Amino acid sequence: MTTRHEDGMTEAGLEDLFAEARAARPVPSEALMARVMAEALAEQPRAVVALAAAVPQPGAGAGQGLWARLSWVFGGAGALAGMGTAAAAGLYIGFVQPVGLSGIEEAMLGTPLETVELIPSVDVLLSGN
Amino acid sequence: MPRDMQAEALANASDEVLLARYAAGEPAAARVLTLRLTPRVLGYAARMLGDAAEAEDVAQEAMLRLWRAAPGWRAGEAQVSTWLYRVVTNLCMDRLRARRRRPAAALDDAPEVPDGAMGAEAGLIEADRMVALQAALDALPERQRQAVVLRHIEGLANPEIAAVMEIGVEAVESLTARAKRALTAILSGRREELGYDDEA
Repeated sequence: MTTRHEDGMTEAGLEDLFAEARAARPVPSEALMARVMAEALAEQPRAVVALAAAVPQPGAGAGQGLWARLSWVFGGAGALAGMGTAAAAGLYIGFVQPVGLSGIEEAMLGTPLETVELIPSVDVLLSGN
Repeated sequence: MPRDMQAEALANASDEVLLARYAAGEPAAARVLTLRLTPRVLGYAARMLGDAAEAEDVAQEAMLRLWRAAPGWRAGEAQVSTWLYRVVTNLCMDRLRARRRRPAAALDDAPEVPDGAMGAEAGLIEADRMVALQAALDALPERQRQAVVLRHIEGLANPEIAAVMEIGVEAVESLTARAKRALTAILSGRREELGYDDEA
């Protein structure tokens, strides 16, 4: 068994400990590095050059048609096709009132609805009733 | 410029140049900064907190603040590393303050304070010496711990430490001198445990 030195830790001994601590610096885990890198890319401002290249310029290239530009703006041809389908369905419902709708209309109002007054006539406003 | 040359140029670029290129949208600059700065930030936080998991949280938060500061960074105003060490210091101080506010029961989790009467065991391995050093660092007042860790473990020069701690150079010298005296006194009680008595 060793005996304790009463003079204690020397300055040189402390310097040795510091040197060991410098050499034993903790190594970041791969998970931490991945998290830091992911946040770096998520927070990074987009490069102006890269963005300019990605945005179709009006009038740039004869082959750049309206369809292609609309498709880019709305997020691709798939999204545009979906919007087209929704628009066609709305048009159909507007022209061909389905049987189901007239049934609801009768149940709610008691009589079939012929007209809807979206802007009240001036007479009603002037009468004060 | 060929890709290899570009990578080499980035690896040799200063932190300030890399941050400007990061802000300009260059993903490679993000990678180099992450690889260069995260280990330093983590090492400092680990020495300040004595807790690996908390140090990882602090390192990630400090780096996130750097990414967010990048677009508004004004060249020449502050060194990136100085700014980052200051952010880590503040985050660590917040956590140390929060620890002090915890209920007394949680003190059981605190690192053991060095005790001169502890049983001695000569020739312990290096890891044990690091544990002893960390326990001694934890026992220091926080400002002394900051100064001595930045000077002697992170290897910063006194003027840079002064900038990090927002004090004068003389105050840094005073803090590190007092910290070293305190560490020597604390570790004297554990000299045998540190394996320095083999030659006796």
